[in-house]
Amino acid sequence: MIIFLIFSCLTILGLIAYGFQIWSIRSTLKEKGTGIGTEKDSDTDKENTTMTFPAVSILKPLKGLDDNLFDNLESICLLDYPAYEIIFSLQDHNDPAFKVARKIKDKYPDGDITIMVERCNAGLNPKVNNLIPAYKIAKHELILISDSNVMVGKNYLREIVKNMDDPDVGLVSNLIQGVGGRSFGAIFENLHLNSFIMGSICFLDKFLKMPCVVGKSMLMKKKDLEAIGGFKAIKNVLAEDYIIGKKMHKSGKKVILSKHIIRNVNEYWGIRRFLNRHTRWGKLRWKIGGIRYLSELLSNAVFMSSLPIFLWEPSKITISFALIVSSVKVIGDFYIGKIIIRRGEIEKRRNEKSSVLLFYYLLSPIKDWLIGLIWFVPLLSNTVVWRGNRYIIGKDSMLSSCPETGIWSWRYRAMDAIKTRFA
Amino acid sequence: MLLCDFHIHTKYSDGSVELRRTVDLFGQAGFEVIAITDHVVNGDNSFGKLAHRFRFSIKEDNFDEYMSCVRQEAERAWDKYGMLIIPGVEISKNHLSPEKSAHILIIDIKEFIPACLGYEKIFLEAKEQDALIIACHPHHSSEMTTRDTLFLWNNRDKYAKYIDAWEIANRDDVFNVISLKKYPYIANSDFHRPRHIYSWKSLLNCEKNVESIKRCIKHNKGVAITLFRN
Repeated sequence: MIIFLIFSCLTILGLIAYGFQIWSIRSTLKEKGTGIGTEKDSDTDKENTTMTFPAVSILKPLKGLDDNLFDNLESICLLDYPAYEIIFSLQDHNDPAFKVARKIKDKYPDGDITIMVERCNAGLNPKVNNLIPAYKIAKHELILISDSNVMVGKNYLREIVKNMDDPDVGLVSNLIQGVGGRSFGAIFENLHLNSFIMGSICFLDKFLKMPCVVGKSMLMKKKDLEAIGGFKAIKNVLAEDYIIGKKMHKSGKKVILSKHIIRNVNEYWGIRRFLNRHTRWGKLRWKIGGIRYLSELLSNAVFMSSLPIFLWEPSKITISFALIVSSVKVIGDFYIGKIIIRRGEIEKRRNEKSSVLLFYYLLSPIKDWLIGLIWFVPLLSNTVVWRGNRYIIGKDSMLSSCPETGIWSWRYRAMDAIKTRFA
Repeated sequence: MLLCDFHIHTKYSDGSVELRRTVDLFGQAGFEVIAITDHVVNGDNSFGKLAHRFRFSIKEDNFDEYMSCVRQEAERAWDKYGMLIIPGVEISKNHLSPEKSAHILIIDIKEFIPACLGYEKIFLEAKEQDALIIACHPHHSSEMTTRDTLFLWNNRDKYAKYIDAWEIANRDDVFNVISLKKYPYIANSDFHRPRHIYSWKSLLNCEKNVESIKRCIKHNKGVAITLFRN
């Protein structure tokens, strides 16, 4: 019984934390200027006519085919912004994304689009390696790092550049909304982005005033980036977005979270890909946050509420409790989804991929359960596999190469052999 | 080089993805040319009857609707992705014995061809329509769930003269026997599910129009195969 009482208390604490997350999302999205895609307030229009918009270099690191890649790249060519250049940056001509980038360039011959193919092995972070050659040829003072898996609306650039009017602002990043979902992995990914990830970002920003940077979209000035050491300073870290934010904050610059939501279209993910990504993200949060990582487990109310079933007994009371908590979570996630959809109503009418289907929220407790299980992995393993490369992850997500020889390498080889066998 | 896939199924037969989404999937991935080739199954045995009953086959009565949807999507794909879509079907002659079964891609089909016709009749009808005839997965396949279709390979002396190209690679399998006989070849995914997009594909060195593509495959000049991986 004592086990049940302990976990019930932890679950209730988790639900309270979740309530705060919902509240922070709600209040963040209610603020003026928040929107998805083409949505605009009339006040925003007035502001735009009186503002000047400096030219921007958009750096798009590409590696492999993301879901919806063509549309993602096309959306960046259709921005309603006076002057900007796009640099698609790849490591290899044989990358399947090269063909897509070429098609986009051919489709928009009047756009200032460059495809930069250059192998760069400056560091261990493949995204930073991809960005370094693009950065070298970027023409403008303002640079925007935009991941290949995001789809943006026409007023995206105007909305985020506005924040740069304040000379103290060093970095602007955005909220992400997961959309689409044609497979369980993709549905879980979108549910997680729209509940836990968005909730945590809004909570940290709203209540703890912590600089929270989402690497999928980062706008900054070249001089500010260079002042914190440029890409060289982050070439060997996994959480390059977090480190940039941290360094900017330390250098006295403001790190702003734009309320403009960008969309991350996830359509055909497998469960394995979902688990791999969140194991990797979990590992980096464990290395960055240390003991604070425990709060993620405690705030996973669905997982905590179900533990007494296994640790005590599968009785009526434990099962009912878990079911009630799961229902609360489904309703909560559904409510968050509704808020996001309401904000992006105009875009929703224009794009069928703009929301997670309502039925999918019923899968939310299963997703939370999987997330609860993989929470433990970072405590047991300090290696990550990212874009086909294996690294050891250290403090502040510092990467080092995985040894190819020696006693520890055998376990990786054994794991690889098992995976190959079952592929 | 044009990145091509000439063997794609949709929900019109036994594919798991709707036509429009299939087109988007290939368009988003940067493909230049694809052929939509849903099954036309012979209805003269229990296999075929089941396929007809569960709508895993294009039939004469929905062929026009199928063609019109493919043409509509072809227009959309051309405007949006610059991707050429060629309508086609996979004539599927299924029998209990793999030695009697054969699947034939008819690319750039215009009129319905019933699968219960004899092989020669099917080939001649396709020739009349100026369509491309491709023998698909003609050899033993590695997939446990796939039934082998060996009839055309076993009877190649009789039928090779009608066949414009043979699938030298299908999804994850390579049929090296095709190269030994020096037959014209192409490689396709036999796409049924999204993950099948990552498989063997053809690369063609020709203009992006139907006639050039057919010529290129028939003459087997400027044809290469590639394993498309992410």
